[in-house]
Formats: sequence, structure tokens, C-alpha cells
Amino acid sequence: MEEQTPNENAPQETKAPETKATPGSKLLAGALLAVALVVGLYYVNRYWIAPAVKAQNKGDESHPLAPTFSLTDITGKPLNLSDYKGKVVILDFWATWCGPCRIEIPGFIELQKRYASQGFTMIGISLDESPEPVVAFYKELQMNYPVAIGNDRLGELYGGMPGLPTTFVIGRDGRVYAKHIGATDPHVFEEEIRELLAASPEAETKTFHQAGMVFADDKVELGNPAEIDSEVPGIDLTKLTAEQKEGYKKLLQTKVCTCGCNYTLLKCRQVDRRCTLSRKLAQEQLDAFLKTKPAGAASK
Amino acid sequence: MRKILQGLVLTLMAAHLGWAQKGIPVVEAHAVMATDAAHADSTLKVAVVAQVAAGYHINDHKPTLDYLIPTGVKLEPSDQFSVIKVVYPKGTPKKFTFSDVPLSVYEGSMVVGALLQAGKSVPAGTYTVKGKFAYQACNDHACLAPTSVPLTLMIKVVPKNVPLKPVESNVFQRIKFE
Repeated sequence: MEEQTPNENAPQETKAPETKATPGSKLLAGALLAVALVVGLYYVNRYWIAPAVKAQNKGDESHPLAPTFSLTDITGKPLNLSDYKGKVVILDFWATWCGPCRIEIPGFIELQKRYASQGFTMIGISLDESPEPVVAFYKELQMNYPVAIGNDRLGELYGGMPGLPTTFVIGRDGRVYAKHIGATDPHVFEEEIRELLAASPEAETKTFHQAGMVFADDKVELGNPAEIDSEVPGIDLTKLTAEQKEGYKKLLQTKVCTCGCNYTLLKCRQVDRRCTLSRKLAQEQLDAFLKTKPAGAASK
Repeated sequence: MRKILQGLVLTLMAAHLGWAQKGIPVVEAHAVMATDAAHADSTLKVAVVAQVAAGYHINDHKPTLDYLIPTGVKLEPSDQFSVIKVVYPKGTPKKFTFSDVPLSVYEGSMVVGALLQAGKSVPAGTYTVKGKFAYQACNDHACLAPTSVPLTLMIKVVPKNVPLKPVESNVFQRIKFE
């Protein structure tokens, strides 16, 4: 019997050196696992459970009707949102001084080219203070969709503009299906446009999960017209009698706003609708005012 | 996985914008003097110290691109004080996803200097100079509307025989008035 000699070229079994997990590495692994679990659960809820629950809710609470508006676009033509009923609309709040807004525009021009014939339109609402830079930019980029200069009231009707760009995706039924804050990938818009174009005006449209830079909750919240169109902007006065309204406004004229504007609370609300401090103070004054003069008491 | 991470980052950035929306200022600013008081008929050094919230930037006083809104300090001249000049720091060039070229911006802490001239016959007393720090902030994905922080500087004018003590020297070291 020949003695077998080990073949030097044959692959040799190697035994990995036994490594002992240190308490530090176990802790790190546990922490990573915990983070992965939390992130996993968040996305499972966001993209699977929450949409499924929403689909069961037949109501349209998450998809409010887009507030209508009438403006004149920068070419002088009337721009009424109601004229686009039955179409899918992307309403883009932007400004020429906003880099992330500008970078989205070529994508919007492309979407307009591609889907305008299928019942889609882009609408741009610029929040620039004057039309000159908007007109120049419009011409420079050869924008192919209507653009108008907006105002604070319109921004508030759409829930306020914490950051620009803020973009709303509106279905054929005039409801807002998505809100994107911050520069968003054009493919996200394209996907949403296609889905909404496929839906008939009466059909229940699949709930979008919001994409891009959005707030955590999926519900699209718009502003309250009773607060926005109030004589004291930001404060709902609809439950006050005429006499109470006058009394409350006089009261606000005696209070100095502490936001640094040096105005009374009433004037600050009227000239700076974005001032969150005067809004809070005016609401506190209203609550105190109604405690001394409850609704209905003044008229008795 | 990349998409999930991207989503997580974007959600966090959105929460950051929500923070700004709730009225928490993205920029805090206040004005200080280089000395504890001032003399009539003299030049006063003033600094506006601003802190830009993490994750945000504001534009250089001389922005890289025409369309950007510059950061500016405006101090209101009064019967007692006039403004000789305002000196801005140089911004830091930074690349953003929304721009092909690096933009000169201010981030974190920054100091703007100002030289004021006290009138020849300003009587001793305490005076207020008002002003504002105007800016327009953005992060990598979104921008906030242009706004300003009101500034109030209390200036105590003392007789010429009263010596002035330097204060806030660490702030004024950061300003090149020449």
C-alpha cells in the first residue's frame, strides 16, 4: 500500500481563528440592530400599514379640495385654478431667489411638454416681491406653462409656505393628493401625474404616500379661510358679533407686539401675516377677551 | 437601502423645516459695542453677532450669483450717531446640490462690523440705535422667505474725562475694519 503524500497544490482546509465577541462589539451590534428595527418599523408603517388603513377610509380628509384662486399670469392672461378642473395640475410655489426652486423648473418644463396633451398642466406661483426677475427667468428658460405672482394670502390658503419650493399635486377631481416641500426628483412627480391621469374624475384615487421632502404625517393640510380672510389675519373671528369684533380690534390696538416690529398687535397682524408671535399673542388676547365678553353677551 | 436612507435624510430635513415654520428663528443676531460707553465726537466700533442654525446657510453680502439675496446689516442713523461704514466677513465657498458652482455663504457664527460716528455735541446719556440684520436662508433642499432680525443697541455716552473700557474683545478680533 502506497503511502499517500499530501498534495501541496491541493486546497487546504483552513480553520478560521476563533474570535471571541467583546462586550463592546456585542453592544454595537445590538445598537445597530435596534436602529435597523426602528427604521424598518417606521417604513413598514409608512408605506404599508398606513396606506392600507387609509385605503379603508373612504373619506377624503387626507385629500382636501385645492383652494381656488384667480390671478393674472405674467403674460397678462387670467389664471383661475377652477379653469383646470378635470385636469391633473402641479401647483408649484417657488421664487427666483431660491436655488432649489430654480433647479426643478427644467423638469417641470419637460413634464408640461410630455403630458399637457393628456390632460395635465403645470402652474407656477412665484413668491417673488416683484414680477421683473420672474419675467426674465420665464423668458430665459422658455417656460411653457402659466406663472403668476402669488401673495401671502394664497400661500396661507395652501397651508403656509415653510420652505420653497412647495409643490402640490392636484387630481382631476380638484383634490390635493400630494405635497412636496423642497426640491423633489422629477420622477416622483411623473409617477404621480401618470397615476392621476389614469384615474377618472369620479374614481377614488389611490392614496399617495408623500415623497420627497415632506413632513412626517401624510395628511395634506391646507389653511383655514376663516383665519386667513379675517380682519385680524390668522385669527378666526367668525363666532364674534360685530360689536365684539370692534371691541377686540380696539383691544389689540392698545397692545404692543413684542416681536421687534414696534407696532400694535393689530397692525403687526395686518402688515406681517407671517409673524408667529403676534398671532400667538392675538389669540391669547382673544381667549381672554371672550372670557370677559363671551360670545352673544355683547349683543344682549 | 439607498432609497430608505435618502427618505430618512429627507424626512429629517423636513422636520428641520418644520422647526423653522414654528417660528424658531434660523438666525439669531444681536449688536454689541467694542467699549462699555462712548464719547461725543468719536468713532464707535460696533459688531453684529449672528448665529445661523445648523444645516442652514445664508448668502454672502456679495453673493456668487445675481439671483441670490445678499445678507445685509442696516443701522438707522439718528441725531446723535451716523453710520460711517459696515464691514462684512468673507463667505465660505460651498457646493450645493442646486448649484453647479460653489456658492459663497455664511454658516454657523458670523460677525459683521460697523463704524458709527458720535455727533460733536452729544450730551451724556443713553441712546438707542436701531437696525436690522436681513437675510435669506436655505438648506440643501429648500429655502425660507427673506426676513430680518431687529437689532437694538443701547449706547451710553459719557463725558470725555471718563475712560472707556474695552469689552467683547474676542468678537472684535474677528472684524477687519480696514
